[in-house]
Amino acid sequence: MKISENTFDVIVIGGGHAGIEAVLAAERMGCSTLLVTARYSRIGEMSCNPAIGGIAKGTLVREIDTLDGSMGKAADATRLHFRMLNRRKGPAVWGPRVQSDADAYALFQRNYLERKAIRILEDEVIALEGSTENPEGIKCRKNGVVLGRTIVMAVGTFLRGRLFRGQSEWRGGRIGDIASDNLEEDIRRRLFHVERFKTGTPARIVRTSVDTGELGIQESEETDFRFSTDRKDLPGNREVCYLTKTNRNTMIAAKEYMHLSPLLAGRIDGIGPRYCPSYEDKVVKFPEREQHNIYVEPMGYRSRIFYLNGLSSSLPAEAQEKMVRSLPGFEKAIISDYGYAVEYSYFHHTEIAPSLRLRRTHNVFVAGQMCGTSGYEEAAAQGLLAGANAAGIVKGAKQLTPSRGNSYMGVMIDDIVSKGTDEPYRLFSSRAENRLHIRQDNADRRLYEFGKSLGVLSEGKSLLLELNMKEAAEIETVLSESIIERCQAAIWCRRPGAEAERLAELIPTLSSFSRDRIFSVMLDEKYSGYIRRSMKRDESRRRASSVNLSSITSYMEIKEICWEAREVLEKAKPRTLAEAERIPGIRPTDLEGLLLHLAGKRSTWNSSIKKETDQ
Amino acid sequence: MRIKVSPEIICAPATPEGYSALAVIRVSGKGSLDLIERIMSLKTGRLRGMRRKLGVISDNGKVIDEVIAFSWPAERSYTGEEMVEITCHGVPEIVRGIMDVLVRHGAGKAHNGEFTRRAFISGKLNAIQIMTLASKWNKGNEKGNISGRFGRECEEFINQIEKVKELLEGDIEFGEAHLDSERIAILTELSSLIRDSEKLIQQAGKIEQGQKVFLMGPVNSGKSTLFNILAGGKALVSDVPGTTRDGTRRNVELRGRKVLLCDTAGTGGEGLDIQASKTVLDEIQEFDKVVWMSQNGKESAPEELSSKLPEILEVASKSDLNQVSKKSFEENGKILKLSSITGEGILLLEEWISTSPGNMSLAGALDRTVNHIVNAEKFVTGDEFGIASEHLNEAEREIRSILGKGENLTLSVERALSSMCVGK
Repeated sequence: MKISENTFDVIVIGGGHAGIEAVLAAERMGCSTLLVTARYSRIGEMSCNPAIGGIAKGTLVREIDTLDGSMGKAADATRLHFRMLNRRKGPAVWGPRVQSDADAYALFQRNYLERKAIRILEDEVIALEGSTENPEGIKCRKNGVVLGRTIVMAVGTFLRGRLFRGQSEWRGGRIGDIASDNLEEDIRRRLFHVERFKTGTPARIVRTSVDTGELGIQESEETDFRFSTDRKDLPGNREVCYLTKTNRNTMIAAKEYMHLSPLLAGRIDGIGPRYCPSYEDKVVKFPEREQHNIYVEPMGYRSRIFYLNGLSSSLPAEAQEKMVRSLPGFEKAIISDYGYAVEYSYFHHTEIAPSLRLRRTHNVFVAGQMCGTSGYEEAAAQGLLAGANAAGIVKGAKQLTPSRGNSYMGVMIDDIVSKGTDEPYRLFSSRAENRLHIRQDNADRRLYEFGKSLGVLSEGKSLLLELNMKEAAEIETVLSESIIERCQAAIWCRRPGAEAERLAELIPTLSSFSRDRIFSVMLDEKYSGYIRRSMKRDESRRRASSVNLSSITSYMEIKEICWEAREVLEKAKPRTLAEAERIPGIRPTDLEGLLLHLAGKRSTWNSSIKKETDQ
Repeated sequence: MRIKVSPEIICAPATPEGYSALAVIRVSGKGSLDLIERIMSLKTGRLRGMRRKLGVISDNGKVIDEVIAFSWPAERSYTGEEMVEITCHGVPEIVRGIMDVLVRHGAGKAHNGEFTRRAFISGKLNAIQIMTLASKWNKGNEKGNISGRFGRECEEFINQIEKVKELLEGDIEFGEAHLDSERIAILTELSSLIRDSEKLIQQAGKIEQGQKVFLMGPVNSGKSTLFNILAGGKALVSDVPGTTRDGTRRNVELRGRKVLLCDTAGTGGEGLDIQASKTVLDEIQEFDKVVWMSQNGKESAPEELSSKLPEILEVASKSDLNQVSKKSFEENGKILKLSSITGEGILLLEEWISTSPGNMSLAGALDRTVNHIVNAEKFVTGDEFGIASEHLNEAEREIRSILGKGENLTLSVERALSSMCVGK
């Protein structure tokens, strides 16, 4: 049947990490789906570094997997190298990260889409079709109008993407790809509030031109860790990564060409990520530091290309050459692709609802860089939620968002939707208030219920997770009932260095469970006091947040808070304390002041008068 | 039923009851000036600004007293509201009479610390100043420090905590290389934090009134003897049961911590005793401590006491008289054996009093702050950065609560206010 004769339940624009998860989630929920991408061959491309996971990000991948997404499966199947980051800093902050074979990863995702019989249309989307409140579909350059009940936009950096290197500037969503200029124009025409961000990528180096003998080696950890609960066979760890450091010459080279930097010359207006800055940013911000770590990562198994993690740059080719060659072992390096910066449009956070629907529409969702985030994992998690909620509209289900206290996914969505971000948003473990609870080892148990109510779990996954839950509950019971070494087993788990293997030896009934599962439950016990406290605080915060401020007629009169805050509040006129909290520039002290003001007006004196009259 | 609106104007005698040359009644709140002008039959506007007016206050035509009214406009007064101080003659009937007139004209009677509360709410005083004031008030001759220097040092301390947090979080998020130098840097910062926090504790001890420690128990259990040992001397002692009838109290310093030691009349006696210990029960607040003494530990603390506060230490006194129990405090767990003759248990008792301060005290908050920092250090060494970070957060929360910027703000201020008199 011709594309134009269909009305799809969910149309997903973009074949990146967000788009893939979105279309798969909708498909799992039984919707008819269409994935529209400008280039079929670049579906699932790792546009930047060939790694999945990291601190907080790795946990996020586990959460995506719990919701039956494909990212964890793809990362497991194509991994070359694995490290559990923060191994020596406690299981609460462990961050699993794999280096994947970039080509194999993309291929895996394409095959996965095909296996699920996802219909894919290779075309450029140039506009939404119909009204802004309720678009009927999309308009494509070649295929014209395609009808859809809901639309998920996940076009990444393509939204009026502009690429920069030194003095040159050209259109593009990524090197070698066209930008979505028409779509951006349509979005602006519909008066959505969009802003500009920038991000960048480093040079790629020809592997044989590098003397790896000069570099430090980062071996892969030997482990059977998997992101996915599927327990599929793993490929061996087949590559090593390398480590080198920048030096004085790198800095001199960067400084010499600094005046040609598109960013510093003011040609890029977009704000870049603070935590993944370009090398020239580092030079400007830390002028006294000559040494910065550079991780040298192979782009694939026996790939001829190295990725230079940490040397992102948009300086002219000449400068990049000098910078790269200043690194030990890179004296004769040949650059296969030069680094560049990309500037793109994204939606201001006020446009986005917690379900990731654009507030002004009934049926259009956004995910990934369009929401102002950066990173594959962040994009994939949003894609999954956007796809599921889009499908939810079609199926008449409730719109859902995971909670902040229970998952990084919830933390991220709450952050981007309520606070917004003034630089590309990256997930950090410290963004979560309940970090000891939101761990990589218990993602399956944390999000099972959510996944079930979202309706995004396939039958197999659901059964598997249920089994995991059951096992964990059994272990928990055993721990609370057993006494080992004159101590309740649950308490024993809190000892430093308590290990699952040892526990299984001490309590034979546990030996049938996997050590990972035992360890996960042990951690629950170990951190339980902290977790409870954090949840309690969360609760009281929530209670305080519901405080009604409607009795305040003028914020300018409130003497308990500072002038600046009065002005900001007067302008925003929040109705509840929660709303006040979310206004940028409002500090906890101001909230206390508001509470105090209300308490002074109402309860304190009232209650004392009450006492008097009662007597 | 009366309508429960908060009175805009409050009034209270600011001088002690009794005969004196002069007495002062304070009136504060929007409209105070109008009110006083009215009852003193002054022309409208006479009390605008910083004024002093002589006049007469009468009740239904009957002159109560000739008084002087001092007025302050809101922006210059103690409370940050319009305020008047009426100076009258120091006769209780006159003071009561004037108060009656004020109340009949719509002013409300102030509660403990309400003037200061208003000063706090209008931003005239911050939490630390109030606590300083409260302790100054409660201790009379002690030299208080209202300059807010301590507050600034707390602020500085918070900055330091934040700095360490940044290091720690930075290492969690970006410290991929597992560098021991990073860990050492964090540990160094933590130990300097601990040193600084101990300095803060010393200062806090000077500002804050001590927590109250009540010595309670059946008659003739040796409370007053213990009191004298701890206080170094002057309470009335004898071996006759029921000697201490009215309770005695003294500020003492135990291991550098200020403590208000309160000796009480024994329970279980007849008549007066029960009434006396009831009064004590009413006085005990949740941040205070009770040492419950009974000879050889044979009578345990009454339910109504132990349900009221968590900090009770049960003591078996006169252990020298009894050879039955050979168990030490550690083995026995709950009951501390004590002898004022052999000195057994006294050190342990002092330690208990000085090291586990009650919930809401300044010293307590600082104590918990140090504890959290020590824990943070422990968990950095023990490879649990996530937990270490939790403890640093807690430490910061505690110290912010001292500054009145945290969750416990209202509580700590409430506590300080309630200890003041009505005219303060």
